[in-house]
Amino acid sequence: MAEANQLFKEFKIQSVSEFFRRNAAMLGYTGKIRSLTTVIHEAVTNSLDACEEAGILPYVRVEIEELGREHYKVIVEDNGPGIPEKYITHVFGKMLAGTKAHRNIQSRGQQGIGISGAVMFAQITSGKATRVITSTGDDSIIEAWVKIDVDRNEGKIVKKEKHPNPKGWRGTRIELEVKNVRYVRSKQGVYWYLKLTAIANPHAHIELIEPDGKLIVFPRSSEDVPEPPMEMKPHPRGVLTDDVYRMAKKTRRSSVKRFLVGEFSRISDKKIDELVEYIAALRLIKTEDDKNVQEQLYERLMKGEVKAVLRSFRGYTKVVKQVAKLMEKPPEKLSWHEAEEIVEAFRYMKFLAPPTHGLRPIGEENIEKGLTNILKPEFVTAVTRSPKVYSGGIPFQVEVGLAYGGEIPGGFDVLRYANRVPLLFDAGSCVTTLAARSVDWRRYKVDDLDRAPLVLMINVISVHVPYTGTGKQSIANVEEIQNEIRLAIMDAARRLQTYLSGKHRRLHQAKRRRTFEKYVPEIARALSVLTGEPEDEVKSYFLSYIEGHFASKESGGAEEVSENA
Amino acid sequence: MPKSKAVRREKPRERFSYDPTKVLTRLEEYGKRILEDIKSGKNPYFDIPMRGIGNVYFDEKRRVIRMGDKLSRRYFLNVAHARKFMQTLLIMAYVKRLVSENKHASLREAYYANKHTIPGTKENTFEDQRESDPIIEDLERMMGVLREEMHLTADRRGYIYGDIVIRDGEDEFNTSKLGMGGWAVPGTVEHLQFVEVNVDYALVVETAAMADRLIEEKFPKKEKALIIATQGQASRGVRRLIHRLHYEEGLPIIVFTDGDPYGWYIYSTIKQGSINLAYLSDKLATPEAKFVGMTMDDIERYGLKNVTEKLKGIPPNKKGGPTADYKRILEEMEYPWFQNREWQRQLKMAIKMGVRIEQQALANKSLEFVAKKYLPEKINNGELLP
Repeated sequence: MAEANQLFKEFKIQSVSEFFRRNAAMLGYTGKIRSLTTVIHEAVTNSLDACEEAGILPYVRVEIEELGREHYKVIVEDNGPGIPEKYITHVFGKMLAGTKAHRNIQSRGQQGIGISGAVMFAQITSGKATRVITSTGDDSIIEAWVKIDVDRNEGKIVKKEKHPNPKGWRGTRIELEVKNVRYVRSKQGVYWYLKLTAIANPHAHIELIEPDGKLIVFPRSSEDVPEPPMEMKPHPRGVLTDDVYRMAKKTRRSSVKRFLVGEFSRISDKKIDELVEYIAALRLIKTEDDKNVQEQLYERLMKGEVKAVLRSFRGYTKVVKQVAKLMEKPPEKLSWHEAEEIVEAFRYMKFLAPPTHGLRPIGEENIEKGLTNILKPEFVTAVTRSPKVYSGGIPFQVEVGLAYGGEIPGGFDVLRYANRVPLLFDAGSCVTTLAARSVDWRRYKVDDLDRAPLVLMINVISVHVPYTGTGKQSIANVEEIQNEIRLAIMDAARRLQTYLSGKHRRLHQAKRRRTFEKYVPEIARALSVLTGEPEDEVKSYFLSYIEGHFASKESGGAEEVSENA
Repeated sequence: MPKSKAVRREKPRERFSYDPTKVLTRLEEYGKRILEDIKSGKNPYFDIPMRGIGNVYFDEKRRVIRMGDKLSRRYFLNVAHARKFMQTLLIMAYVKRLVSENKHASLREAYYANKHTIPGTKENTFEDQRESDPIIEDLERMMGVLREEMHLTADRRGYIYGDIVIRDGEDEFNTSKLGMGGWAVPGTVEHLQFVEVNVDYALVVETAAMADRLIEEKFPKKEKALIIATQGQASRGVRRLIHRLHYEEGLPIIVFTDGDPYGWYIYSTIKQGSINLAYLSDKLATPEAKFVGMTMDDIERYGLKNVTEKLKGIPPNKKGGPTADYKRILEEMEYPWFQNREWQRQLKMAIKMGVRIEQQALANKSLEFVAKKYLPEKINNGELLP
């Protein structure tokens, strides 16, 4: 048997970078096709977010060069705000660093791993540094080769050059060399990813140069830069003990009370008084021995009868006073147990729904623009539902777009998005797919869904999208979210139905008209034999009669009579 | 010494009236009206008397089955009618050509002559003869002319034998001088003219075998009768011929069928017309026709009990009945023209006795029996059913 000392000789502290180097799959680097898509996704997402925050209409150009077998150079260039020189290593070299990770905010990206993950992936597959060329529009352009020091989780600039910027160029261009990936024009590939991105971001101009030199352009169809999302304070119903505990350690507020009022939404001074009562009541209920009585008290508390519950205990005012004192403590002194008590009380209390001003939907108009621009359908509609809450306190919002016919090929397609980011994998388990399939499409005149030229896009927006796995490609089946998606789909489908029934009616009319017209030559010949009138004249009488009939039909003419009427 | 006869030729009541220009005029009138409608922005249509039992009734006064006045209107501008409307006009134009060129076509020829693919479609003007035949029937009902007058003929069936002279186009012949087979009745008898009629009455015979027997026994000559063999249900040609001989030549019509529901139905059709061709009763039916046999009384009277056959099916008083022959007889008892004592008695007897008797059963007596005894006796004594 080995001694513990022996065993622990091999014990090492692993850096964050080291962890993700070993577990690249958690960042989406699985499979040759998906890995390439992930690299591009990280770069493009950064570009779009940066442009949005800076209020710039994005222009993103993606170029993929084939250097050898399963060996590519990926170039992504944007016209964004650029990266100040001193932040280059942070942006590209350090895992879990970014401008948004620590804020309660809707974002495309992940927790600041994204682009540094791509740099890491390039580094571990090709051994090459990532080349970054950027300028904030001042008089110099920085060209830097970045690598990651895995052991220290730090970016390292291998080589750096400064160039003059006479034309005032602004933006960022990164070049990554990756191996062990493959470019394929499949539904999980780069082309499809960018196409979906273009649909959800009609304000962006996106270009792709494929390995064979083919240029594909997804042009911009909207001139409005979306408002950047706003930070939102967490809602009391959406937090865990750990959140409260850690936030309390970090805050600069003077008391627990001020901390709660200041850093959570929907908590006022009055709510703090209520909170005190609830915590006191919970403490007292726990002293009760009879389980049945306890149950009843919890139930009454849930109903909001907090005062009555308190009064049922003798000397309750003492407990209330104790809890009130807790609220005056400096927040950093808040114990885990106290944080736990606060979160438990939150569960029994009633709060206003969380604010939703931080959610930034694409909007009906822009969805319609995006779908029209990229898919060229004959009919398009979009529905943006108003924000809702799941899990008691996490705001989310659902929007869907429907595009039908035109250049859309037969076969139902669901385009899934979370915070505008296309989800390409794990469609089967995604709540969007479940919701889409749960709708009875035949009710909306879509008789054969699997052959209908129909594209449904679904975007789920939230500060916290409940993904099912680390890959973030599938949204968990949360009942509230599924319901919202269903309602949105049905709303859009109703509009499609109206369109389709109108279309059927017109097709039907055209078919009817054709029925009459095809017999006219036969009738004309026969009538000409019977009456001696020239065939062509008879024909023109009939044709103009039909014409007149269908013209008046358009404006609501009379119906036909049946043969035996 | 001349035999006293119960049946004798009467005075003619109708004149030979075949006139092809009548059909042509009608057709032109319809064409012109359609054209007027379409010119003035009206949806052109045809009014066609409805077919089927719902539009048929028994005319007590004239004692024929007649067509009611229910019309169905066939429009051009109606998805359900347009095709038939086109077909109607197609056949009308075809008939105009036939009649003006004095050519005749069979129903099948009319179908093939008008069948073609409509340009620009995969659709045919007629897909099946079952589409063209009803259109021709519609035209008969609509214009009140026989399809024979429109020079459209059906399969021929039946023949005649007797001392009459017929003019058929350029030919003139005596139907008793054409050999034992007589003269086959054509599909169209409209244009025939009866030059000489040296018979007292016409005997309509259901089976060819019986007609042949009578001819061999020289019955037509001896009894001054014209034999008309229907060979089963009488064809339109034969029915029209019977009608013409009766009304244009005054010949009494005597019908000789088997003593069974089918035989009585043949008689009924000759006499009152049929539901299918109710609209033609005025031209096809001969209500004055009389029935000589076989009757149920004959069985007793001529001792034919041993040559009867059992009726098919279950009698009305038995469980599951009545079916088959019994059911037909009960139906026939309901016919307005069988609402008389004689016929009700015959039909009741048939059910009671549960037997049928064929014409040929008379051969049980002797081959000559029918020609020498049975028919002359009954006819000359006027022992006929109404």
